[in-house]
Amino acid sequence: MEKTVIEPWIVDESTDEFFVPDYINQLAEEVLQSYDLSVKSIQIITTKPDKGGAIWKLETNLGPKSLKLLHRRPTRSLFSLGAQEYLVDVQEARVPPIVKTKDGKNYVEAGGKLWFVAEWIEPLAPVTKDLEGAKQLCYALGEFHRLSKGYIPPEQAEIASRLYKWPKKYEKVIIKMDWFRNIAKAYEEMPASSYLLAVIDEFEEQARRGLERLNQSSYFELIKLGNAYWGLVHQDYGWSNGQMGDDGMWIIDLDGVAFDLPIRDLRKLITGTMADLYRWDVTWVREMIKAYHEANPITAQLYEILMIDLSMPNEFYKNIKEVVYEPEIFLNEQTTQLIQTIVETEHSKWPVLEEIQDDWKEVE
Amino acid sequence: MKILMICTEKLPVPPVLGGAIQTYISGVLPYLSKFHDITVLGISDPSLPDQETINGVHYVRVPGKVFEIYRENVVRYVEANHFDLIHIFNRPRLVIPVRNVAPKSKITLSMHNDMFNPEKIDPEEAQAALEEVSNIVTVSNYVGNVIRDLYPQASPKIRTIYSGVDTERFLPRSHPKMQKIRNEIRQAHGLENKTVILYAGRISNNKGVDKLVRALPELSKKFKDLALVIVGSKWFSQNDVTDYVAYVRALAKKLPIPVVTTGFVAPDEIQNWFAAADLFVCTSQWQEPLARVHYEAMAAGLPIVTTARGGNPEVILSNENGLIVENPEDPNCFVEKISQILSDKSLMKRMGEKGRGLAVSRYKWDRVASELLEVWAQAKEVKQEKTNEEHIAEPVAEHVIEPVTGHAAESVAEHVLGPVAEPVAESVVEHVIEPVAEPVAESVAEHVLGPVAEPVAESVAEHVIEPVAEPVAESVAEHVIEPVTESVAEHAAEFESENDNIIEGQLEKGTEEQTQDPSTETDSTHEQTRSNVRGKHFIITSGVRKTEMGSTREKIRGKVHGKYFIITSGH
Repeated sequence: MEKTVIEPWIVDESTDEFFVPDYINQLAEEVLQSYDLSVKSIQIITTKPDKGGAIWKLETNLGPKSLKLLHRRPTRSLFSLGAQEYLVDVQEARVPPIVKTKDGKNYVEAGGKLWFVAEWIEPLAPVTKDLEGAKQLCYALGEFHRLSKGYIPPEQAEIASRLYKWPKKYEKVIIKMDWFRNIAKAYEEMPASSYLLAVIDEFEEQARRGLERLNQSSYFELIKLGNAYWGLVHQDYGWSNGQMGDDGMWIIDLDGVAFDLPIRDLRKLITGTMADLYRWDVTWVREMIKAYHEANPITAQLYEILMIDLSMPNEFYKNIKEVVYEPEIFLNEQTTQLIQTIVETEHSKWPVLEEIQDDWKEVE
Repeated sequence: MKILMICTEKLPVPPVLGGAIQTYISGVLPYLSKFHDITVLGISDPSLPDQETINGVHYVRVPGKVFEIYRENVVRYVEANHFDLIHIFNRPRLVIPVRNVAPKSKITLSMHNDMFNPEKIDPEEAQAALEEVSNIVTVSNYVGNVIRDLYPQASPKIRTIYSGVDTERFLPRSHPKMQKIRNEIRQAHGLENKTVILYAGRISNNKGVDKLVRALPELSKKFKDLALVIVGSKWFSQNDVTDYVAYVRALAKKLPIPVVTTGFVAPDEIQNWFAAADLFVCTSQWQEPLARVHYEAMAAGLPIVTTARGGNPEVILSNENGLIVENPEDPNCFVEKISQILSDKSLMKRMGEKGRGLAVSRYKWDRVASELLEVWAQAKEVKQEKTNEEHIAEPVAEHVIEPVTGHAAESVAEHVLGPVAEPVAESVVEHVIEPVAEPVAESVAEHVLGPVAEPVAESVAEHVIEPVAEPVAESVAEHVIEPVTESVAEHAAEFESENDNIIEGQLEKGTEEQTQDPSTETDSTHEQTRSNVRGKHFIITSGVRKTEMGSTREKIRGKVHGKYFIITSGH
């Protein structure tokens, strides 16, 4: 057990989406020996073959549990586990409690990774895919952010923080716009190349303006308040990781939590939702922000950062960045369609942003 | 001295997985270990034992990879083992934890990049660390100046020691050892009759090889038979293809010329690719400390095109061993400089020869090691200065003119030694002369081998700082070990302005020396030192082996007492 090192695994035609290499299944069984549980059944729920992660559902004498193999570096995982414990024990947040090992630990180390067992929350149901559902998600997100404030990671943990990295992140977007351009030029014979080249300047310019605005904003003042003040972002929040339980909204899958300005989760939720709608809708955006604000008040300064982040070419970047991997496949007709859809959706973004720009003027 | 070298938590030593710092350490160890009892503390690796002793160097390997874990292991080790001097590589954040468990050891620091930047180390901790270290060596002026800009108070402690290269391993393609290898590689990869442009380094946005790839369509219009070789390990990686690697791959796939990508090349085989190439290009976009590849390219006799970023241009004499791209973000600037070299075969040849000449004269490991020994000797001096203050006593030796009372080492040397052995004064200042009195300073006793009056140990002279009469020559010697040519002198002038404090110190001493004895204007201090010291009551110690140190300590104290001066050479 000591010498095995968990690696990502290859998925091909011979494997299905639930395939997990045998040695990992074996490690899972060994890991479970560390718990005072009698496991009746174990079922794979989801895998991350490219990273080397997996989640199982356990039926035990003490009810349903989840077993997770965390793909991140152990010290990074310690950060997330500490956060989960803090949210449950100190803040009584609705996130799954961690089940302790026989010797009272939060996790087991095996194959060079951390594993842990947590309560399997039942029943959980996704909220409806409408404005009401979106508002519920936003409120729960605000609540999560509020409760995550004050978290101090364990000494052994790496400090996962994106708080100070916003300018770097924006710069990276700008740099990669140039990559996209250069690739489209090199692969000019591909169908989507000319479409990409036709719009890239404008998106690059949006990113540049975003960085300029960020540099002139209160960002640098806000980050001085520090990690613990702002608390954690979930980083992977949406209709599946925020779900309704018997007693309210639960938030699950906390593995990727990191310190950051909380509105980054909110921004992602808004842009993602607008992309699903194929247009920006001022009522949705306003109501979502308002629902969040009720649970975790947004200051005028923070609102300014939210507006800047919404103005970045987020959807274009998110969808096109794949182009670097296999441009000879990616730049096909389908991507032409994708680019056109994004351009149209983004088109409706600007009037909405303009309309809500001053909403927080009176807010202290 | 009993010395601990603490490596970084990233890669093991010896450099089985490569790494600039690891290569540096392995390069200097054969020389350093002749003079000191050295332990190298680094991270464990499946291919290496956790403890071993090779050629007298002890290796201790502890779990690392993640800084926090490594730090804990380092602290634990230092707590349990005593060292006179602890040399920390590139991790200022280890200084305070190490100091806490080694309150009496000297601590010196090597800086290989920007680890003092505020995002890497809290300014408060940085300042405390700078207080605790006696010397900081940097791999380029650039690295030193960045630290100076952040923490001006550190300036007097900082000294540039350029890295080195194994010039017996990196050889020009014309060398008999390399001709066959060159031909084989070129044949195996379809590079016969090609002009091979070599890039070797990480494939990352900072390193910017994409600029070279983007320059090639234009270059290939101008020059026939070009080929590109990219030596970099990430190229073929399956699971860990960064977006940047993917980007460069995508561009390279479309190039009109052959592109050979090597994937991971074992560190001990890299030289073969240099021998197979015709031109070396470094494309770094970031303020790079000073990439090792420059030394390797020089040693391999390749003309170099590099960028005006960080310390890289410091080793390029423009038009002599290469050219510098001023705007490396623009691929056209690479087209321009590369064209300039490729279009003039005789220039290409001259540049390669000049590079080889520079590598051999300035950038060999023995030079790096001897400079490091100087720094350690200086660090030791500071310690003994303190001991002096603590143990004030009437010197007993007959040649002492003044009692030493709480003087700084330098003034001790001046006052005490002045009339006794003038010409030696310079080297003595570097290595501390102490009138031996009761109680004998512990650190001295540790290194004294008994009543050895003569002959002077050879090894002392080997790394004694030479009393160079010409002040300018001294400052040049600091950075450029070569006869002073015009361009080097220019270079030296640059160094002077950047390294004010170091050079001021050197100048002072140099001047002093000159007034004392102009005859020291010689290349070799061996004889000088020897003849001046011989016959006088000095004990010069060096190269004391560990076993002797421990066992003879008490004995020495008794013998030395009241009889001799002791010159320690900082071991």
